Amino acid sequence: MLLQWLTDNPQFCAWFTTLVRFLFPILALMILIRTIHSLLTVPCLPEVWAYLTLPNGAQEPLTHWENILGRGGSSDVILNYPVVSRQHAALIRRAEDTWTAYDLGSKGGVTVNGKAVEGSAPVQYGDVVALGGVETVLLPLSPEEKAQRRQRRREHRPVSPWLGLILLTLFQVLTAVQLTISEGENATVMIPLTFLLLTGVMWLYFLVLRASRRVGFEMETIAFFLSTLSLAITASSNTGELFKQFLCVALGLAGFLILGVFLRELDRAKRIRWLMAGAAIALAAVTLLPGVPTQYGAANWLTIAGISVQPSELAKICYIFAGAATLERLFHRRNLGLFILLTGAVLGCLALMSDFGTAAIFFVTFLVIAYLRSGDWATLALICGGGVFAVLTMLSLKPYILRRFATWGHAWQNASTGSGYQQTRTMASAASGGLVGVGPGEGWLHNVAAGDTDLVFGMLCEEWGLVIALLAVGSVITLAVFAVRACRAGRSSFYVIAACAATSMMVFQTCLNVFGAVDILPLTGVTFPFVSNGGTSMISSWGLLAFLKATDTRPNASFAIRLPSRREDRKNAALAPQAGEEWEVEHEEN
Amino acid sequence: MKKIEKRAWLCLLLAGALLLGSAAFVFRFVANGASWASYLPVFSGQPASGRVLDRDGDVLTWVDEGGVRRWYDSATVRTATLHAVGDAQGRIGTGALVAFADRLSGYNLLTGSYSPLGQGSDLYLTIDARYNYIAYQALNGRKGAVGVYNYKTGEVVCMVSTPAFDPANPPDIQDGDERYDGVYLNRFLSGAFTPGSVYKTVTLAAAIENIGELYERTWTCTGSTTVGDGTVTCPHAHGEQDIYAALSNSCNGVFALLAAEMGEDVLARYTDQAGLTASYSVDGIRTAAGSFALDGLTDNELGWAGVGQYSDLVNPCALMVYMGAVANGGRAAVPELVLRTENALGLPSLPSFTRQTGALIASDTAEALADMMRRNVTDQYGASRFPNMDLCAKSGTAEVGGGQAPHAWFAGFLRNADVPYAFVVLVENGGSGADVAGSVAAQVLDAVVNGY
Repeated sequence: MLLQWLTDNPQFCAWFTTLVRFLFPILALMILIRTIHSLLTVPCLPEVWAYLTLPNGAQEPLTHWENILGRGGSSDVILNYPVVSRQHAALIRRAEDTWTAYDLGSKGGVTVNGKAVEGSAPVQYGDVVALGGVETVLLPLSPEEKAQRRQRRREHRPVSPWLGLILLTLFQVLTAVQLTISEGENATVMIPLTFLLLTGVMWLYFLVLRASRRVGFEMETIAFFLSTLSLAITASSNTGELFKQFLCVALGLAGFLILGVFLRELDRAKRIRWLMAGAAIALAAVTLLPGVPTQYGAANWLTIAGISVQPSELAKICYIFAGAATLERLFHRRNLGLFILLTGAVLGCLALMSDFGTAAIFFVTFLVIAYLRSGDWATLALICGGGVFAVLTMLSLKPYILRRFATWGHAWQNASTGSGYQQTRTMASAASGGLVGVGPGEGWLHNVAAGDTDLVFGMLCEEWGLVIALLAVGSVITLAVFAVRACRAGRSSFYVIAACAATSMMVFQTCLNVFGAVDILPLTGVTFPFVSNGGTSMISSWGLLAFLKATDTRPNASFAIRLPSRREDRKNAALAPQAGEEWEVEHEEN
Repeated sequence: MKKIEKRAWLCLLLAGALLLGSAAFVFRFVANGASWASYLPVFSGQPASGRVLDRDGDVLTWVDEGGVRRWYDSATVRTATLHAVGDAQGRIGTGALVAFADRLSGYNLLTGSYSPLGQGSDLYLTIDARYNYIAYQALNGRKGAVGVYNYKTGEVVCMVSTPAFDPANPPDIQDGDERYDGVYLNRFLSGAFTPGSVYKTVTLAAAIENIGELYERTWTCTGSTTVGDGTVTCPHAHGEQDIYAALSNSCNGVFALLAAEMGEDVLARYTDQAGLTASYSVDGIRTAAGSFALDGLTDNELGWAGVGQYSDLVNPCALMVYMGAVANGGRAAVPELVLRTENALGLPSLPSFTRQTGALIASDTAEALADMMRRNVTDQYGASRFPNMDLCAKSGTAEVGGGQAPHAWFAGFLRNADVPYAFVVLVENGGSGADVAGSVAAQVLDAVVNGY
């Protein structure tokens, strides 16, 4: 009935479109600015897990699960004694609050209660850990201090999500109406219905998580905002795929939750690294197997029962899982041999599929992980050299790839050939949108091949305007800055490496997508995380976000981090009565 | 952990690259957005909204309610204004439909090409469709270019380039079709041709300032003058002449001697100063720059270069501006093609300010040159052909070799205060400049000055 009314009142529709063109950027700014600001200014107060008393009587807090003890400036606990090696020992906390001391090949040796440590030995609270004769004692936090610390950290709580959520809901409603208008006489209930479902899923997620005492929702707000754009892009270019894209948002959200909860337990996560490495190779290789149905001429699509998936997208999650490592492992196996082998296998498969954009993304992610793990420039230089060699070999085998680069930077002179065709149309469409865009569903670029995937930045600019397109890019940058800042309070190197790798992957992918579309880089044909129309890409974007969620150690912020039980919490509150209840009450009001 | 924390800067490096690249894109977006957006109608095949009108308000092209482009109803007017208006396919890049697409669609950075009003603007060109029609008829099927502009205000009132076609019925043009040779090129703005004797106005300006006792000198022309190690020939012997007669006779021998005497550096300096090697921005359309290889020439080659032959190439629009500068005491207005735009609410655009060229010629020299060019008209071309006009002009008959007839040129200006126009006419392979190009100029100027 409403649809009928809309078609009968073209005057209203025209006014509506004109109005929302200006309203959308303002709404988007209001939704994202607070969120982005909150993520960028995360105080990241380190948690304290135990104390180490030094011979001089000082008490050093252990602020991570994995701590390096040594004379060197980059140690977590600096022991400035000549007998202590630069990087002498590691104290690592395992589940259930048990600690282990590791001798990192020190000259002076490590003893626990006088017994020499061969490799590693468990440490109880009160035990004396001596490094080359320098004696330290591991002490637990008193329950009072634990409670106080928790309280103090809680004062820096994340921004309240509710205003943003309400604005985002308004954004979604207006988008659904505008998209329905843009369909004109062909409008069906499909668009409003799908957006209604998205809004419902979003509220359900927020309410359930809030009910389980989680308060940090910045990343989810960003992800839901970008997913909304993705649905709008899909509706504009191919309404038939809209519901499928929504299902992928729901699937992605489910994957995000499962992965996040799984990451809570470090030991569990560590155990399945091998499985993940195998899965990464299997996913990268599956479409190369003979007899596997593929689609679109490119060999990177797999079709099962009419559903097309891009397994290499899912391989990204497994790859990062396999690449991240705890400090313990970093000392145990210092070289990157197996990881290089894994990378080689995945890149080889992608090269065979001629999916060089994705291969480049994996390679950059590999560089980030390798550097975080080894910190060794010489190895990286060697690897890069190998990469250049591989690229040259490939170019000599498949010289047609070079043609893609021939028009690089000269798209306008090659407006009718190759990637210049798509790039010039992207830029022309993007510019005609101006700052506010022509209105969702009103653009033209979706008529160009890959308009809603590889060229999606152009579609964003055209239909949503430069402001929102830049906000989308800014959101990805924000996630990267957050990941780096969160390192300071990181519990385990596993989480830190995974988060940094996941954001680097997203950032680099965004670089290739955005710059490729507008001729700053050659067009490589990769998707914009969350935004591009593509189910597997959407699912993998949500999956990557789980790694970030697992580094958010702000109290109660993230579901990917185990909370103290309610009983424990109550006990804490009793020990630090001045603020406990107040905070909860105050928060409910927001 | 602290170690890994320090290594995380690598991620910031990547994020920085994304930020930097986005900033570069934003910069390009702001700087080139108008030009990028102007291609969308061509790419999408959906004509940009907005109407193109001539200075009198004759609607030359518009988009009807069904989104189809419509044109003025006379085929000859459509053809005569083709290069000023452009075609639906956007092949004529200097046509208003492409070059001024941003103003037609009402492009602005905030709302892009789609104004909130949903309608395009009215773009008034400075040209008068009637003058174009007359010029096109006068060219009579020959290839060439005609330009007339007001050197005080910069308004180009007539701009024709041939060959042309009817944009309402675009022909299927095959590669190598002689009839449509360079049809998408606006010869007036984007062409460069051997100037022949019209270039003597530059050589003469240099001579006035650099040759002592120029006015007292006399030369005897036998039809063939030795310059350097070769000869420079004239169509026939001009006999004994002073500089006035040498210009009105357009004696190659005299001007070749003057050029050789001054040297290539002096000639190059005056050519550059005259703006003939520069490119003008005509409402954002870059004109083609002429080229004069005045470097390392023998005296004989320099002599030929001094009479507008050898490898000299001049852009008709730049020559017209130089003519305007001679008329206007050394400086002229830079040509303009957009008179004004009105948006869908009828609000006019901000008035554009007339831009002046630099000093293309010294003021005294310009006056002396103008007087001599006036004598060309009275002594040679015939003042009666140009009624009610204080016309100063120079013809050119530029040899192009290859057994082809020479290019015919006629360039000059009116000194009348009420019709301050400079003009250029080029008829490719037209033959005699004064006769062929002069008669085209006469017809167009008669319409401009005397009306119907």
